[in-house]
Amino acid sequence: MTQKLPISTPRSPARWLPQETSLLKYLCLAPAIIYDSIFFLLPLIFLVWIGFWSVENYRAVPGFSLSNYLDIFSQFFTRSRYGFAIAQSLWVAFTTTALGILLCYPFAMALVFLVPERLQRLLLVLAIMPFWTSYILRLYAWQTILNNNGLLNTLLVRLNWIKDPLQIMFTQWGTRIGLLHYLAPIMILILYLVLRNTDRTLMGAARNLGATQWQTFWRVVLPLSKPGILYSAVFGLIISLGDVLSGTILGGGTGQSILGKFPLFSAIILNEYAASTNLPRTSALATLLIGIMIVILMTGFKLAESEQ
Amino acid sequence: MSTQQKRGIDLGLAIAGWVYLLLGFIFLMLPIVTLIAFSFENARFPTLPWAGWTMQWYQELLTDGRLLQSLQRSLIVSPLAAAAATVIGFFAAYALNRFNFPGKNLLSTLFIVPILVPPLILGVAFLGLLSRLNLQGQILSVFLAHVVILMPTAIALIGLRLAQMPKDIEEAAWNLGANEWQALHRVILPWAIPGIAGAWLLAFTFSFDEFIIAWFVSGFEPTLPVSIYTFLGANLSPSLNAMGTIVFGISVVLLIGVELLLLPLLLDRQSSVQKDETA
Amino acid sequence: MMGPSGCGKTTLLRIIAGLEGMTSGTIRLQEKDITYLPVHQRNTPMVWQSFALFPHLNVQQNIAFGLTLTAHRKAEVKRRVREIAAMMHLESLLDRRISQLSGGQKQRVAIARALITEPKILLLDEPMSALDPHLRVRMQAELKRLQQSLGISFIYVTHNQNEAFSMADRVVVMNRGSIEQVGTPADIYSRPTTHFVAEFVGSNNLFDGEVIEVGQDTVTVRCPQGTMQALWREQPHQMGDRVTIVVPAERVFLAIADNSAENKIDATLRGFEFMGSQVIYFLETDTGYEVRMIRQESLDHSLAIPINSRLQLTWKTRDTVLLGERIQ
Repeated sequence: MTQKLPISTPRSPARWLPQETSLLKYLCLAPAIIYDSIFFLLPLIFLVWIGFWSVENYRAVPGFSLSNYLDIFSQFFTRSRYGFAIAQSLWVAFTTTALGILLCYPFAMALVFLVPERLQRLLLVLAIMPFWTSYILRLYAWQTILNNNGLLNTLLVRLNWIKDPLQIMFTQWGTRIGLLHYLAPIMILILYLVLRNTDRTLMGAARNLGATQWQTFWRVVLPLSKPGILYSAVFGLIISLGDVLSGTILGGGTGQSILGKFPLFSAIILNEYAASTNLPRTSALATLLIGIMIVILMTGFKLAESEQ
Repeated sequence: MSTQQKRGIDLGLAIAGWVYLLLGFIFLMLPIVTLIAFSFENARFPTLPWAGWTMQWYQELLTDGRLLQSLQRSLIVSPLAAAAATVIGFFAAYALNRFNFPGKNLLSTLFIVPILVPPLILGVAFLGLLSRLNLQGQILSVFLAHVVILMPTAIALIGLRLAQMPKDIEEAAWNLGANEWQALHRVILPWAIPGIAGAWLLAFTFSFDEFIIAWFVSGFEPTLPVSIYTFLGANLSPSLNAMGTIVFGISVVLLIGVELLLLPLLLDRQSSVQKDETA
Repeated sequence: MMGPSGCGKTTLLRIIAGLEGMTSGTIRLQEKDITYLPVHQRNTPMVWQSFALFPHLNVQQNIAFGLTLTAHRKAEVKRRVREIAAMMHLESLLDRRISQLSGGQKQRVAIARALITEPKILLLDEPMSALDPHLRVRMQAELKRLQQSLGISFIYVTHNQNEAFSMADRVVVMNRGSIEQVGTPADIYSRPTTHFVAEFVGSNNLFDGEVIEVGQDTVTVRCPQGTMQALWREQPHQMGDRVTIVVPAERVFLAIADNSAENKIDATLRGFEFMGSQVIYFLETDTGYEVRMIRQESLDHSLAIPINSRLQLTWKTRDTVLLGERIQ
């Protein structure tokens, strides 16, 4: 016969239990929630709202109208060329990100699989180091390197590899180099962490079954590193789309690219704010940019989910 | 057996790999080396061949009040903003680590989002809010804005450290008579310190280098990056190289701190303390 | 508290400590109702399986922890720490970092830390599982000595029967969230009151059957393996009752050796296992049922019976235990 615990009339158990709500929980979360609400959510909501204001007699009027958006889209590819700028930004962002992943992946691979364990940490720190120096100063340094009479060109002409200096500044290639230099440390870090966690036993099993190095890479390592590639891609795209400095300092504001000599969308937003003539319309432009980024993020999420 | 032999990589591929690494590092280091090297060159514009050594750019820098003043402002705002973000972040990370509640995922997402929004947009948005409150154009505005973007990193890093904490030591503290606050500051906090320190260092660096948001909100009290930007437009002087070198020097010091505190968090599964526990 | 994994013994311990919630019931510690007290006010310190020592404090600070939470004079705290350290043989280790301690030392620090607040009870959650086997036996004896010299109750959770029997004054056997039986080790071992306990503890043979005759103090039961007799203890059974007879394996003998015993069945030897000073014999009845016999033998003096020999087993009725119907 089994003996059961004596059960008295049901009452509520001890009040303060680790898993249950406690005052501490609210006190700990409150500062962060309050701060983010006031200084993050509020400004953003406000920004989006301003995009729906209208302009009468050169003054911004609160309200809810689509006039700014209509205005923007009506001149999308004509007067103010917003459309071209967006196209330019997207083009630069995608090419830079793709290039970044293509270049950083082998670098991370070499770090994980080639470098002896003890050196890896040191080299990783060195690779991340650019992240710790001033972005704007790095761009300035790139300027002196990439200039027509800068280091690179001087070197190449001296070596007689080229006759005339390469025009890199004021093109989107300059922008790309600046962006790449900004993105590389983080991409390398993400890819390094992902590759490092590749299950070595899986790789060993593949080799054991007769796979060549290339096959092992293509069919074991690469697929397993897809999440890392996805994160790097989303990260790269969002940063590139929102970046102003590379485009302005190295790209000259309206850098030349395959598409043509168009400014970057982010630079347009920055300049329009500096001029501050039409706040509602500029806010609408900024909201447009947010929209594009949300689309990218959502796509990234969907892809990540389908990977699961 | 060498590393590559152990991993079944042929010599040719290995050599190519090392060469690629070298090229990669050259690319990464080039601007930094350029900055440092040319800060000592005796020439108006950086050129080759080498035009001689000089310290004049550093001297020029020290006599130029504006850049120094901005540097000073940055050196005040950044550590403070980092500290504020770290403190708020610690409490949030603790609560997220310990409690489970409906909406926790949503809250975690909310905490991460600020770092995903481009600083350009945030700068615009902050300016909008702060000008309503008449708080724009001061160094205080930079402080307020930076805390927002520094918080996610603080929460993530401290959260990472807390996740590595042995589950029972907090319960053991309660069991021995500590109430929640006592356990928090006498057991959890000491454990979290490497994470807190690492988070502060990282946040400091982010804030120190942050340009766009500061450009929007700092107005007549610019931080260092903003000053440099206007400088670049106005007069290109090699003293910028000198400034770059100084900033780089500060970064290296911070970097050493990060290397000692941060990377163990990211790379190892257990901290070295825990490893000894099982011995 | 003893039982298989998942039986709820650790959960129960944590409920006593206040680390888990309960939906109903009361907890009384020496007449004081602690059901509504939060964990930090119960003074029910626990020794964790992983010891849960604070890594950032040294041995002395770990031990002193409980006292430092409320106002105490420094000298007083120091004195108490030394007292406890002496009791646990830790005097020379007071300044060590936790990471420098061996498993056994950590356990003693964990115990010292728990005892410093002079609790009326000590909870221990499988404290020996992190120790080397040879250390366990020593620590068991020390723990028992400690408990008796302190005069307080220890609630000790384990899944190891030997530990439970060697140290306990009372054993609570649990299974799937319920208490099966509470009693002294001897009670649990020789007089199981449920099927689970009979199967979980020691090595017993269980025969299910139906009562065909009720006698003065015995009943006759017909089982698939044969007809046998058993002693009834608390209440007589009626004809037709379904019962289970428990026969300890150590009480099963070869009929050749002792022909006086009342119960006999035939079985074939299928295998055996040397366990140091004992041999377990595995036999199979004609109905395909496994019966075990344990003999105190050593390698040199074993019976050396060939496998597949047909044997007759016997046991005394007075060595049996009668259980009611098996509850599925």
